[in-house]
Amino acid sequence: MLGYTITQWLFGIISFLSIMFALMVVFTRNPINSVLYLVLTFFCIAAHYLLLNAQFLAVVHIAVYAGAIMVLFLFVIMLMNLNQDSEPQKTMASKLIAGIIGGLLLVVLVGALKGTEQIQLSQSGHSEIGLVKNLGRVLFHEYLFPFEIVSILLLSALVGAIMIGKKEIK
Amino acid sequence: MKGLLIISGLGILAMLAEIFKFKKLLLPIVLLGIIAAFALNFLEWQTRLDISYFDNMISFDKLAIAFSGIILLTAFFWFILANNYFDKSSSLVDHFALVLFALVGALMLTAFKNMTTLFLGIEIMSIPLYVLAASKKEDLKSNEAGFKYLIMGSFASGFLLFGIALIYGACGTFDIMKMRMFIEHNATQLPLFFYVGVVLILIALLFKVSAAPFHFWAPDVYEGSPTLITALMSTIVKTAAFAAIFRLFSIGFGSISEVWTSALALIIAASLIIANFSAAMQSNVKRMLAFSSISHAGFMLMVILANIRTNISLDAIIYYSLAYSIGSISAFGILYNVSRKGNEDISAFNGLSKNNPLIALCMTLAMFSLAGIPITAGFFAKYFVFTTLIGTPYKWLLILAIITSAVGAYYYFKIVIAMYFNKSEDDAPLIIENSNKFVIIISTFLILAIGIFPSFVSEIFKF
Repeated sequence: MLGYTITQWLFGIISFLSIMFALMVVFTRNPINSVLYLVLTFFCIAAHYLLLNAQFLAVVHIAVYAGAIMVLFLFVIMLMNLNQDSEPQKTMASKLIAGIIGGLLLVVLVGALKGTEQIQLSQSGHSEIGLVKNLGRVLFHEYLFPFEIVSILLLSALVGAIMIGKKEIK
Repeated sequence: MKGLLIISGLGILAMLAEIFKFKKLLLPIVLLGIIAAFALNFLEWQTRLDISYFDNMISFDKLAIAFSGIILLTAFFWFILANNYFDKSSSLVDHFALVLFALVGALMLTAFKNMTTLFLGIEIMSIPLYVLAASKKEDLKSNEAGFKYLIMGSFASGFLLFGIALIYGACGTFDIMKMRMFIEHNATQLPLFFYVGVVLILIALLFKVSAAPFHFWAPDVYEGSPTLITALMSTIVKTAAFAAIFRLFSIGFGSISEVWTSALALIIAASLIIANFSAAMQSNVKRMLAFSSISHAGFMLMVILANIRTNISLDAIIYYSLAYSIGSISAFGILYNVSRKGNEDISAFNGLSKNNPLIALCMTLAMFSLAGIPITAGFFAKYFVFTTLIGTPYKWLLILAIITSAVGAYYYFKIVIAMYFNKSEDDAPLIIENSNKFVIIISTFLILAIGIFPSFVSEIFKF
């Protein structure tokens, strides 16, 4: 098919979908729709992980992001009753400035990624690196310290959330 | 490394204090723990070895030990200052735990050897601070500070991660030493997106030190947060973030300095000009100190800009961090006591020389040190930084720095003038409890001691 392999076709389609859904997140007015499009974006990214043979990451991505975090988002939006187009409109000037600055960043990034096809891979990819067995081995050998210290990060986030949420006892 | 483990353990211990009812004992335990961490840290200096831990994830070399020493010293002072600040709130132990966790992140930032530990260090340091900034729950300004800090900080983290991803794409490694080897071997054929990654990381880290175009959050957050949390942010967080930038850019990206130095020079110039002129217009002391911290960030970045890998630049940045941390902790300690009645403007200092001459003298010396006037530590700090820039093409920054320092002296003197020449409305003597007095006097003594004998600190890397 036009000289492309099936993987390349899949990559192209999934990339197109993920970019389109990501744009829809920003462009829809209704916050609920935004969140739903974000869920679709996450599914597309999970499909990318599958293409890279990282099944574990794909499953975790869907379970954590599309499952847990997005449900939380939806709850917050519903509880705070934000599902109206009550977003205050920005002035034209600030929209223009934001557009120019964001566009410049886009130009820089696109320019940076242009011409990368010719670059030789510095390391040949290990095709089974994303499987649970290999992931576990890497996590508990080379990345043991980050893996353990992350518990401090999660703990402090937990303590912080409780502290902010707790009612002050007078 | 042992210091890091002790502080992590202390944070977890602090959370148990509520259940096992040793809340009264918590402060002494924490202070003893910090002393123990400091001592063990010092012993590692004596071994003269760069030991790296966990597959080169983190390594306590001399630079890391010196920075951790400054951070632990400031933390020690901070906990004494804060001894009864949290008693009123119902979440005393949570505050302790969060500050200790932030400290863990700060220590990690001094010693990281890998991009993963850099990212985790920044997050572990920042997340407790977002919460602490918002910890005065009924105060709208504090809520705003926490929220602003969280949103802006998350954006900066996004930039950092994007930068790390691009650099990983080019080098195929997270390890900073391997990255440096890769850069040296492939200096001519690095892909363009590698440089973009370097610039994105620079943006993220400059946000954390609040250098000029990324400084907009700093005055609002510093003003809105409780005064002691502001003290924490402007000393420990700043020192740790500088340790991170210094390590990453001098060691990791030192050999491709032409990519980032010209941008950094402009950022320093902007920091010096914007910060000093805005500070001169403030009447709120906390806001003024926030702008002053931005200008100090500009000075400290000069050492990184000079990019000379000798002891001179190590000495300069360690000396500056120490002088700045002690001066700030003293100034914030006094501000905390003076502004108890709720007035944070310069007028709160009116007539302090009559109400409490000793504290007025300490504040004067702290202001002199921050302004960089001789016999205080700040003078030599600036002097050492300037010496690193001689011999680089950025001598024009020196002239700019001297001019803006003169502007700086103007607003530091506003407080001194208020203390000595203005009359206060009520002549009630300012009573400061002994613990706070102890910290203020000891830090003033240190400002003078390392100002008069700078070689104590400035030559530690010879040993």
